[in-house]
Amino acid sequence: MTEAAQTMNEETPMTHGLDLGALQRERRTLNLQDETIALEVNNLDLYYGEKQALMGINMQIPQKRVTAYIGPSGCGKSTLLRCFNRMNDLIDGVHIDGNITLDGENIYSPAANVADLRRRIGMVFQKPNPFPKSIYENVAYGLRIQGIKNRRVIDEVVEKALRGAALWDEVKDRLHDNALGLSGGQQQRLVIARAIAIEPEVLLLDEPASALDPISTLKIEELIYELKDKYTIVIVTHNMQQAARVSDYTAFMLMGKLVEFGDTDTLFTNPKMKETEDYITGRYG
Amino acid sequence: MRVNLKKWFHDGDAWVWLNAAALSVSLLMVVGLLLLIAVRGLGHFWAKPVHEFDYRESDTQVLRLIGEIHDEERVLAEQLRAAGMEVASDEEMVTRYLFKTGNRDVGGLDFRWVLDERIEARRHPESLTVLERREWGNFYGYVRAVKEQGKVVAEGESAWPELQRRLERVGNIYSQIQKIQKDEIGAINYRMERLRLKGRKMELEGDNTPQALAAIAAERAELDASYQVLQKQLNELYSRVQRDSVAVEVMDGQLVELPMDKVVRAYRPNAMSFFDKLAFYLEKVWEFVSDDPREANTEGGIFPAIFGTVMMVILMSIIVTPFGVIAAVYLREYAKQGPVTRLIRIAVNNLAGVPSIVYGVFGLGFFVYFLGGNIDALFFPEADPAPTFGTPGILWAALTLALLTLPVVIVATEEGLSRIPSSIREGSLALGATKIETLWRTILPMASPAMMTGLILAVARAAGEVAPLMLVGVVKLAPSLPLDGNFPFMHLERKFMHLGFHIYDVGFQSPNVEAARPLVYATALLLVVIIVALNLAAIAIRNHLREKYRALEH
Amino acid sequence: METTSIGHHISQQFNVELEEIRNRVLSMGGKVEEQLANAVTAMLEGDTAQAGQVVQNDYQVNAMEVMIDEECSRILARRQPAAFDLRLIVAIIKTITDLERIGDQAERIARMATELAECSGSGGSNQCLELEHLAQHVKHMLHSSLDAFARMDPEAAVEVARLDDRIDKEYESMMRQLITFMMEDPRTITRTLHLMWAARALERIGDHAKNICEYVIYMVKGKDVRHTSIEQMEAEARGEG
Repeated sequence: MTEAAQTMNEETPMTHGLDLGALQRERRTLNLQDETIALEVNNLDLYYGEKQALMGINMQIPQKRVTAYIGPSGCGKSTLLRCFNRMNDLIDGVHIDGNITLDGENIYSPAANVADLRRRIGMVFQKPNPFPKSIYENVAYGLRIQGIKNRRVIDEVVEKALRGAALWDEVKDRLHDNALGLSGGQQQRLVIARAIAIEPEVLLLDEPASALDPISTLKIEELIYELKDKYTIVIVTHNMQQAARVSDYTAFMLMGKLVEFGDTDTLFTNPKMKETEDYITGRYG
Repeated sequence: MRVNLKKWFHDGDAWVWLNAAALSVSLLMVVGLLLLIAVRGLGHFWAKPVHEFDYRESDTQVLRLIGEIHDEERVLAEQLRAAGMEVASDEEMVTRYLFKTGNRDVGGLDFRWVLDERIEARRHPESLTVLERREWGNFYGYVRAVKEQGKVVAEGESAWPELQRRLERVGNIYSQIQKIQKDEIGAINYRMERLRLKGRKMELEGDNTPQALAAIAAERAELDASYQVLQKQLNELYSRVQRDSVAVEVMDGQLVELPMDKVVRAYRPNAMSFFDKLAFYLEKVWEFVSDDPREANTEGGIFPAIFGTVMMVILMSIIVTPFGVIAAVYLREYAKQGPVTRLIRIAVNNLAGVPSIVYGVFGLGFFVYFLGGNIDALFFPEADPAPTFGTPGILWAALTLALLTLPVVIVATEEGLSRIPSSIREGSLALGATKIETLWRTILPMASPAMMTGLILAVARAAGEVAPLMLVGVVKLAPSLPLDGNFPFMHLERKFMHLGFHIYDVGFQSPNVEAARPLVYATALLLVVIIVALNLAAIAIRNHLREKYRALEH
Repeated sequence: METTSIGHHISQQFNVELEEIRNRVLSMGGKVEEQLANAVTAMLEGDTAQAGQVVQNDYQVNAMEVMIDEECSRILARRQPAAFDLRLIVAIIKTITDLERIGDQAERIARMATELAECSGSGGSNQCLELEHLAQHVKHMLHSSLDAFARMDPEAAVEVARLDDRIDKEYESMMRQLITFMMEDPRTITRTLHLMWAARALERIGDHAKNICEYVIYMVKGKDVRHTSIEQMEAEARGEG
C-alpha cells in the first residue's frame, strides 16, 4: 500500500487508467500565452487636463474571449474602455500618451480613421440609448451610415442582428414600432443588435446591465456568452459576480492603475495581489 | 386675530392667494380684451335696424331722420347746455345717440348726435332700404323706382324685386370688369413693362441690334392689339353696367337717382327675419375676409392685408429657421466653448431686447438702401432710376423680421440641442457615424420640437410687429399681391399690406374715423385669430414631432 | 493573522458570520479531540462506562457538522464569497467532514474498548502500551492540525502533515507485532483483532488530520496540495505566491 502511494507520487500521470495530466490541462485551458491578441495596450497614460486618470496601462486583450474590467468607481475602467474606440476624443482636455493597437495597427496614429475604427470596435453603453426611431431603423442605422441602400440586404442584416441579440422573436411582429416602446432589457439587447449589425471585431460593453432588472441582466449575460464565439468582448462592470459569471479574463483596476490581470477563475479564487483580494472579498483597502 | 394674521402669512397662504389673484387678473384682462374686440368687431357685420325718427331739431322745425343708431351715451345735461344746446329735461343726465344717417354725398355729414328727449316719433317701416355703395358709404332711403336708360321700368311695390334682379346682373358684369381690369389687363401691363425693361437692358448692354428691336416691337404690337381687344370689351361692359339706375327717396323727401354700378347690395333690415340677418351676416363676414378694401380701407374686405401678413410671416419663417438652426448648431456642437461663445450668446440674447423700430431703421438702411440698392445696380440697371429691390418690399420686411426673431430661434434650438442626452450622440458615433452624420440623422430630428417652439415664438412676435414694417415694406394700399399669376409668380420686391398696419391706418389715418372704428376692431380680432391659428398650427406640428421623439422624457 | 484574514470586511455582519463559523469549527474540533481522548482513555483503562459515553456523544459531533454545513450553504448563497472567503468556506465544509469522520473513528475506538473489556483477560499490556504511544501521537497530530487551522498557518500545517508518515510507520510496526502475537497465541486473536481495529482507526484519524492540514494550505495559499508529495506541499506552503 505504501508502495502504491509512492508510485502515485512519483509518476502522477497514470492511475486507475485516468490521465491526470489531461485532466490538469483541461482545467487550465485558459492561458493568456496561448491566446491570439486582439487589442494591445502599451504604456497608456491618460490625462483629463492636469489630472492623470490612467497610469501606465499595459495589457493584452485576447481575441474571441470575454475580458472584464472590475474596480471601484473612478478607477478608470470606463475611461480605459472608451480609449479602445477613441470615445475620449469627444471630451475636451483629454490627453493621451502611449498607444493601443488593434490587430497590430496603432489606433491613435494620426493616419487612423476614427469612424472606421468605431465601425470595427462597437460599443454598448450603460443606459440603453436606442434612437427615437423604429426598431428596424435602429438596427439599420449603422448600415445606412455606411451608405448601404439595398432594401433586401438591410432586411437580412437586421434580422440576423436581432437574432444574434436574441431579440428577434420578441420584436419580429413590430419591427416598425418605436424602439422606445421596448422594455429596458429589450432596449439594451436592441442596442447590442445595433452594434453587431455592422459586424465589428470587438464589442465594448460599458456596464451593460447596470440599469436592468436581474432577469434582463441574465439575458444579457447569456447573450454575451453566445456572442463570444464571434466577437472579442470587453466588458466593464461594477458587479463582480457578473464579471465572474461572464468573463474569461478579468482585470482589476484601482486608481488609474491596472493592478492585476488574469484568467477569471484564478482571479476570483486566488488573486495574487492583496488589493484585488481586498476588493473582491469586500474588505477595506 | 393679530396672531392669526401672522400665522396666515407665515404659512404662505397669503402668497397662494396673491398668485391666484394675479393669475385671475391676467386671465380677466385677456378674456376681457378678446371679448371687447370680438363684440365690437363682430357686431359690425350684423344688419342693424334702420330707424325713422321725427326729430325736433328746434322749437319750430321737425325733421325726419333716417339711419342707424351707431352709438349711445349718457351725458351731463349741463355739458350740453354749455355747448349751446337746449335741453328741456330737468334730469341731470340725458341720453343721446350717435346716429348714422349715411348719404354722405347728399347731406355732407353722415353722422350726427341725436338727443333722446327730442325724438317725437319712432318708426321702423319695412320698406326702408339700405344701399351699400362702392363709394361714399351707405345710403338710406325708400326705393321709389328702377330705371333703365333713364326710363322707369318698375315703380312702387314692384321696384324692390326688380332692383334685386338688376343688382345681381350688375354684380356679374362688375366682377367681369374686375377680372379683365385686374388679371388680364394687369398681365398685359406687366408684360409690357418687362418688354420695356428688356429693351432698355439691350440698350444698356449694346445688344440693341435692329433684329432684336424689331422682335420687341413686334411683341409690343401684339400686346397692344390684345390690349385694344380687352379695352373694347371693357368699354362695352361699362356701357352695360351703367344702363340701370335706381331712384331713392331720402329723409328730407328729395328723390336721388343712383347709378346701379355704384351699388354693391341693397337690403331692408327691418323686413329681415333672424335667419335672413344671419345669412346676411355671414355674407358680410366672408366679404370682409375675402375682398379688397374700398373707400380708403374703411369698407370692403381686408384680404390683401391677411394675405400679406401670412405671406410675410411664412417668408420670415423660411428665412429665420435655417439661419437660427445653423447658428445654434454651430454654437452648441462645433464652436469651442469659451469666452467667445459666451460673448456671442450674450449678444444674441441682448439682440432680442432691442426695440423693434431699431430693426426697422437697420432694415431700411442696410437691406433696402444698401443691399437693395446694390442688387438694383448689379442686376436691374435697366429699371433705373425706378428702384426694383432698392425700395421697401416684402422680402426686406421678412428679412428684417427674421433678424428680429433670430435670437428666439437660436436660444430655443440651443436649448433643444442641449437637452438631447449625450448617450444618443455617443451611440451614433460609436456606430461609426461621423459628427455631421450624427447631427443630420439623429440630433436634428430630435431637436426639431425645440426648433418648432422657437419658430412658434418667432411667428407670434413677427405677426404682431408693425413698427419696423412701416419702414421696410408695408403700405396702406398695395396695388397687387406679392403672389400672382404673372411669371415669376412670387414678387418679393413688391410692397404689401399688413393687418397690424391696417389697424393703425384705418383707426388713425382714415378720413372717416367714426365709420371705420368697427373695422378696426374686426381687423384686430382677425389679426389675433391669425396669430393664434399660426401658433396652433406650429404647436400641432411640434406636438406631433415631440410624440415621435419622446426619448427625452425618460 | 487570523483576525486580519477574516475581519476588515466592509460588511461587519459578514465579519461576524465568518468569525462565528470559524469558532464553531474550532469548538467542533475541540469536541472531537475530547471524544478521541475519552475513547483512548476508555480503551487503555478498560472503562466501559466512559466508552459508552463516547459512543453516546457522537451524535453531538454529527449535529455540529450538519449545523456548520447549513451555515456554510447560507453564506455561499447570501454572500457569494470570493477569493479567501470562498476558500475559507470550502475548506470549512471539507474540514468538518473530516472532523465528523474522526468522530466516527473515535466512536469505533470506544466500541473496541467495550469489546476489549468484555473479553478482558490479562496480558497484552505491552500491546496497549504500543497503542497508547500511537494514540498519543495521533492526539498530538489532531491537536496541531486544529491549531494550524485556528491560526491559519500553512507552515505549521506542513509540519503536522509530516507527522502522518511517522504515524503510518508506527501503525505498520504495530500491525506486524500484533500479527506475530496472533501467530504465537491464536487464543488472543479476537482481542488482538480488536486492538488492530483500534489502531486502524487511529491511523485513519491521522489521515483525516493530514487532510485538514491540506485544507489549511488551500485556504491560505489557494493551492490544492492533495495527492502531492510532502516536499511539493512544503514548497507551496512557503509559497512563491
